[in-house]
Amino acid sequence: MTAPAPLLEVKNLTITFPTPGGTVTVVDDLSFAIRDNATLGVVGESGSGKSMTSLAVMGLLPPGGRATGSVLLDGEELLGRSERELRRIRGERVGMVFQDPLSSLNPYYTVGLQIEEAYRAHRGGSRRAARAVVVEALERVRITDPARRADHYPHQFSGGMRQRIMIAMALCLEPRVLIADEPTTALDVTVQAQILDLLRDLQAQTGMAMLFITHDLAVVSQVAQEVLVMRNGSMVEHGSAEQIFSRPREAYTRVLLDAVPRIDDPFGDLRRVSA
Amino acid sequence: MVGYLARRLLSALGILLLISLFTYVIFFLLSPDPAVLICGKTCTPDRIDQIRGTLGLDQPFWVQFWDFLRGFFVGRTYGDGASAVSCPAPCLGFSFQTNRSVTEMIETRLPVSATVALGAAVLWLLAGVGAGLLSAVKQGTWWDRGAMMFALGGISLPNYFVALILQYVLVVQMQILPFPSAVPFGEDPVRWFQSYLMPWLVLAFGYAAVYARLVRANVLDTLGENFLRTARAKGLSGRLILRRHALRPSLTPVVTMFGMDFAGLLGGALITETVFGLNGVGKLAADSIAKNDQPVIMGVTLLAAFFVVIGNVIVDITYTFLDPRVRIATR
Amino acid sequence: MTTTSAAEDSILSVRGLSKEYVTKGSGAFGGRKHRFLAVNDVSFDVPRGRTLAVVGESGSGKSTTARIAAKLIEPTGGTLVFDGQDVTHPDARALARFRGDVQVVFQDPFSSLNPKHTVERIIAAPLQYQGIRAPQGTRALVRDLLDRVGLNPDHSGRYPAQFSGGQAQRIGIARALAVNPKLVVCDEAVSALDVSVQATVINLLRDLQRERGLSYIFIAHDLAVVRQLADRVAVMHQGRIVEQGGRDDIFDAPRHEYTRALLSAVPTINPEWDRARASMIAAEERAS
Ligand SMILES: Nc1ncnc2c1ncn2[C@@H]1O[C@H](COP(=O)(O)OP(=O)(O)OP(=O)(O)O)[C@@H](O)[C@H]1O
Ligand SMILES: Nc1ncnc2c1ncn2[C@@H]1O[C@H](COP(=O)(O)OP(=O)(O)OP(=O)(O)O)[C@@H](O)[C@H]1O
Ligand SMILES: [Mg+2]
Ligand SMILES: [Mg+2]
Repeated sequence: MTAPAPLLEVKNLTITFPTPGGTVTVVDDLSFAIRDNATLGVVGESGSGKSMTSLAVMGLLPPGGRATGSVLLDGEELLGRSERELRRIRGERVGMVFQDPLSSLNPYYTVGLQIEEAYRAHRGGSRRAARAVVVEALERVRITDPARRADHYPHQFSGGMRQRIMIAMALCLEPRVLIADEPTTALDVTVQAQILDLLRDLQAQTGMAMLFITHDLAVVSQVAQEVLVMRNGSMVEHGSAEQIFSRPREAYTRVLLDAVPRIDDPFGDLRRVSA
Repeated sequence: MVGYLARRLLSALGILLLISLFTYVIFFLLSPDPAVLICGKTCTPDRIDQIRGTLGLDQPFWVQFWDFLRGFFVGRTYGDGASAVSCPAPCLGFSFQTNRSVTEMIETRLPVSATVALGAAVLWLLAGVGAGLLSAVKQGTWWDRGAMMFALGGISLPNYFVALILQYVLVVQMQILPFPSAVPFGEDPVRWFQSYLMPWLVLAFGYAAVYARLVRANVLDTLGENFLRTARAKGLSGRLILRRHALRPSLTPVVTMFGMDFAGLLGGALITETVFGLNGVGKLAADSIAKNDQPVIMGVTLLAAFFVVIGNVIVDITYTFLDPRVRIATR
Repeated sequence: MTTTSAAEDSILSVRGLSKEYVTKGSGAFGGRKHRFLAVNDVSFDVPRGRTLAVVGESGSGKSTTARIAAKLIEPTGGTLVFDGQDVTHPDARALARFRGDVQVVFQDPFSSLNPKHTVERIIAAPLQYQGIRAPQGTRALVRDLLDRVGLNPDHSGRYPAQFSGGQAQRIGIARALAVNPKLVVCDEAVSALDVSVQATVINLLRDLQRERGLSYIFIAHDLAVVRQLADRVAVMHQGRIVEQGGRDDIFDAPRHEYTRALLSAVPTINPEWDRARASMIAAEERAS
C-alpha cells in the first residue's frame, strides 16, 4: 500500500533576492510535504526564511524575489504560474494568515468589507449573503459583538483582534491548505487556546492541511504532527513532533529547546546563545 | 464634527485677520505716500492734505487699519458733507488709478478667473491622474516613459513660454483659434470656448505634469504595501485590487493638493491671464502692482488669501471623510 | 508637607486613567453613537529601575494604556506623573523632554517603521529629534545597536521591507534604545522572536536596566517571559486592572479568577517529551 499523495509538496525550494552587494539566498534547497488533515509546524531562527517560504508557495514573493524548485498543490505545479491562474488558487484552495496584521489590512476599508470581498471573489453571491458569512467568521474567532464590529476599521481593533480578523478572513473560504504565519503571537493564552481549538475543529471537519509557523514551541508541540526546524535559510532538522521534542538530533534544535523560557523558573536562568 | 468645524472656521478667520494686518503693514510702511500718487503732477500741498484727510491717511496706523476692517465688515464713508462717498460692505476702498470701487472691480473679474481655474482643473485632473495611473500600472514600458517625458516637459517649461508657443502655433500659424478675448458665454458659446481653450491648456499642462508624477509615485508606493499582498492572497481580480485597494490610498493625498491648487488659482492666474489678455483677477493684480495701486493690491491679496485659507479648511474636512483614521480622531 | 514615598521612587505613576472611544456605524455621519471604555480607572506605578509587566486578555486595553503612558494619545481622564513632574497636560518644553525620556517599541513592527527610510536613518531618528550627538558618531552607534539586538550591522543601509518580522521588531527595539531613555514601553516587543534570539534581547534589556537604571513597562502574552523579566505584574481584563502585585505573588498566589484562568491556560511542551529529552541529555552527560 502506498502512502496517500501529499496535498502540498515543496521540493528543492530556493529563494534569492538581488541586493546591491550581490544575490542573497534566503531559502536554500528546502523540501517538505504536508498530507490531508495534517499539520507541519515550522520553527526556527528569526530571519531564517519561514515567511519567504510561505510567500513563495502563494506566488507572492516581494519584487525581486526569485523562487526555483517546485511547489506542488495536489500534484499541480504552482511555481511559474500566471497571476490569473494563481488567483483561483489563492484564498480558495490555499489560505494565508500574514505575520504583521496591522500593515496587512487596508486602513481605508472596514474589516467587514475586507473579509466579504475575499468570500465573494470565489463564491460570488450578494453582499447581504456574504455579510452573514462575515459576521459568523468574526464570531468564530471570538470577536464580541461581531455585527457591529464588522463596520469598524482596522485601527479600531487591538493587535490580537486584528490577528484574529486575519484568521477569520483566511478561514471563511475553508481552504484546503492553510498557511498560518505566527497566527497567535498577539493573543493571550486563553484566547490562543480557543483559536487553536477552532483550527483543530476545522481541520477535523474539512481535512485541511496546515503549515503552522511559530516561535512558540509549546504551541507547536500541541498542534503539529511533524516539525521542521529552520536556520539561515536551510532545514536543520525535520521529523515527527515526538522525535524533535524528545530526541532532538541537531545542536541548533537543542539550543532552541534549551532557550524556551519556563514559567516555573522565576530566576530566569537565561542562557546566552552564541550565534 | 460640528465643534471641529466651528474651531476650524474660527481659526481660519483669525489667520485671515492676521494676513490682512500683515498686508496692511507692508503697504502702510513700505509704499510711497498714496496722496502724492493720487494727486498727480499738478499738485499743491493743500490738495495733498485734503486727500489725506478724505482717505484718513492722517490718522495713526491702528485707526486706519480699524477703519479698513470696519469698512470691510459694515461699510464706511470717505470724506464728509457734499463730497462724501459711501462704500458699502464689503468695502475695500477705491482704486487710486480709476477711482472705481475695488470690490466692484474684483466682482467683475472674478468670474473670468473662476472660469479659467475650473476648466483647467477638469483638464489637469483627467490628464494628470490618468497619465500617473497609466505609467504606474505600466511601469517601465514605453507608456510609462512617454507619460513621464510629458510630465517633465510640463514641469520644466515655464508657463508663459508654453503660452507663447501655443499662441504662435494655433493662432498665428494654423489659425485654428481666434486671439483670446473673454467673450461672455451667453453671447457666443463657441467663441467663449475658443477664447478660454488656450489658457486652460496652458495652465492644465503645468499642473497635470505635477499630478502625474505624484499619482505615479503614490500608486507605486501603495503597490508595495503589505495590504496589497493580502488583497492578492485573497484571490481578488487584478482590476478590483487596483480599483479598490491601490487607488484610494494613492488618490487621497491628491485631494489635498488639488484643493490648495484650485483655491490658489481662484485668486487669479497672474501670468496666464496676462499673456492671453484675459481680464481676470490675476491680470488685475499684475496691473495694480505695476501702477502701485495700493487698495487694489490689498484687495486681490486678501481675496487670494481668503481662497487659500478656506480651501485649506475644505480640504481638511474632505480628508476626514476620505481617511477613516483621521475621521475617527476628529470626532 | 508629606511626600508619598510611593511617588518618590516611581519613574511613572498613573492614577484613575480612562479612555473612552466613541464610534459610529458605517458612513461618515450615519449610525448610532457607541461609547466604549477601553481603559477604565487604571492606576499603577512603575518603580524606578524596575519592570512593570502588563498581561491580560486580547483587547483588554493594554496597548491603549501603554499609548497613554507614552503620551501618544490623550486619556479621557486621569493623571500621569513622570519623574516627579505632572505630565498630564505638559507644556511644549516638558513634552519634548518627556519624548526623549520615554521610548516605545510598538506592537506591529512594520507599521511603526518608515518604509522609505534606511534602517540607519530610522534608528538614528530619535537622536536627531533630541539633538543628541553620539560620541562615537551616529554610524558607529547604529552599528553597535544592530549588533546588540542580533542583527547584521552591515544591513544598516537596507529598508524595512527587506527584513523579516522578527528583524523588524528588533529594529524597533534598537531605535528605542538609541537615546538613553529613562522609561521604555515595550508593547509585545519580543513576540516575533525565536526563543534563542528572544533570550539575547531579554538579556540585553536586563543588562541595560542594570547599567543605566532603565525602567520598563513590558506588555506580553508570554507569561514565562514575564516571569523572568518582571518585578511587578498588572493583570488587565476588560479595561480594568483586576489584580496587581509583586511578580511571585501573582504567579504563585493569584487571587483573581481571571489571573488563575490565564495561568492555567499557559501551553507547555508535552511533559512526557520534555522528560524524555531531559533524561536523554542526562544520559549523554554521563557518557561524556
Ligand atoms: N527584499 C529582500 N531583499 C533581501 N533580503 C530579504 C528581502 N526580504 C527578506 N529578506 C531576508 O530574507 C530572510 C528571510 O526572511 P523571512 O521573512 O522569511 O524570515 P522569517 O523566518 O519569517 O523570520 P521571522 O521569524 O523574524 O519572521 C531575512 O534574513 C531577510 O533579511
Ligand atoms: N481607535 C480606536 N477606536 C475605537 N476602539 C478602539 C480604538 N483603539 C482601540 N480600541 C478598542 O479598545 C480596546 C482595547 O484595545 P487595545 O489595543 O488597548 O488592547 P490590547 O490589550 O492591547 O489587546 P491585544 O493584546 O490584542 O493587543 C479594544 O477593544 C479595541 O477594539
Ligand atoms: Mg516571518
Ligand atoms: Mg495590544
